[in-house]
Amino acid sequence: MLVGAFACAHTPQLIARPETEDRELVLRVHAAFARVRRRLAMLQPDAIAIVAGDHVEAFFLDAVPALAVYAGAEAAGTFGPYNYRFPIHEPLARAVVEQGIERGFDLLYTQHARLDYAFFVPLHFTMPEPAVPILPLHVNVYLPPQPTPRRCHAWGGALGEILAARPERVVLMASGGMSHYPGTDRYGSPDYDWDRRVLDTLRDGRGEQLAAVTGEELDKAGNVELRTWITVLGAVGSAKAEIYCYEPSWHHGNAVVEWAIGR
Amino acid sequence: MGDRAMSEAHYRFPPAAAFPLNRCLYALKSDDAFRARFLADAKAAMAEYGLDPEAQAALLAADRDSLVARGAHPYLVFMADLRVRMARGTGTFEYF
Repeated sequence: MLVGAFACAHTPQLIARPETEDRELVLRVHAAFARVRRRLAMLQPDAIAIVAGDHVEAFFLDAVPALAVYAGAEAAGTFGPYNYRFPIHEPLARAVVEQGIERGFDLLYTQHARLDYAFFVPLHFTMPEPAVPILPLHVNVYLPPQPTPRRCHAWGGALGEILAARPERVVLMASGGMSHYPGTDRYGSPDYDWDRRVLDTLRDGRGEQLAAVTGEELDKAGNVELRTWITVLGAVGSAKAEIYCYEPSWHHGNAVVEWAIGR
Repeated sequence: MGDRAMSEAHYRFPPAAAFPLNRCLYALKSDDAFRARFLADAKAAMAEYGLDPEAQAALLAADRDSLVARGAHPYLVFMADLRVRMARGTGTFEYF
């Protein structure tokens, strides 16, 4: 069953904390992550299904999957000084691949690909004690043509139904966003107004509207990664979002959100 | 922001002709052994992936606009540059 749904920024500076960052802002985002961690401890999930957009790390131009499921025994990666390793909930991974394909989603699965910081940063801050296995779910956000928001939303809908029918208690977590433009000449000027409009929509339980946003608009708003949120929105329906924080830094709209499901 | 940024997507389909360049940038980002070879002898390392002279010059100059104009993925340009700077001891996470 699906017992919780969250979205978390994965901004690298939240871990690396270089001098370029506003210390108080970083600490406020950390406090929001700590709230998620306490919520996860309360929810007692058997697994965290984390939807993230790999940053051209596991999936380079050799093969570019739109949607992928990590279905190995464990997933590992590195980020700066950190080496991390998470067990994967294998029965859940297998069920998601098999039933996803049965429902018409031609998923790629991997038992070997590396995890990048898109997965690691939220888990670094929010994984409860004792740690629970994860199910990493990749959505292509950086290598055009990416899956359409509508397709992401539909996949999230199927995912929500698959998870709802499972015996395990599962938390769904989107990783990424909000507005930022890594590598481009717009890195220093994110579209905070666009972010705030999206958050208002989510707060009102109207997240389904994001399925109708175009890929072009996401790119323009620095929100290619919002596809991971839109995937989760497919699973949470009209549940209203509680905004734990929205902290715009000089390069990144940092948001942490929980959707009130099953409450 | 220039006209280019206004009129085109930030992330674009990587042209096939840019594959050697993107492959080289990916290796600089994610392959420690390749990055070490690049730092020891950049020209020889770039030749491993068959970069043409113009792409080599753009990469050696860390000229983002030129690299992106040649079809390099902006995120790969960003991270390759960061990793090279970190390996040289002149960069930190702050370049994210």
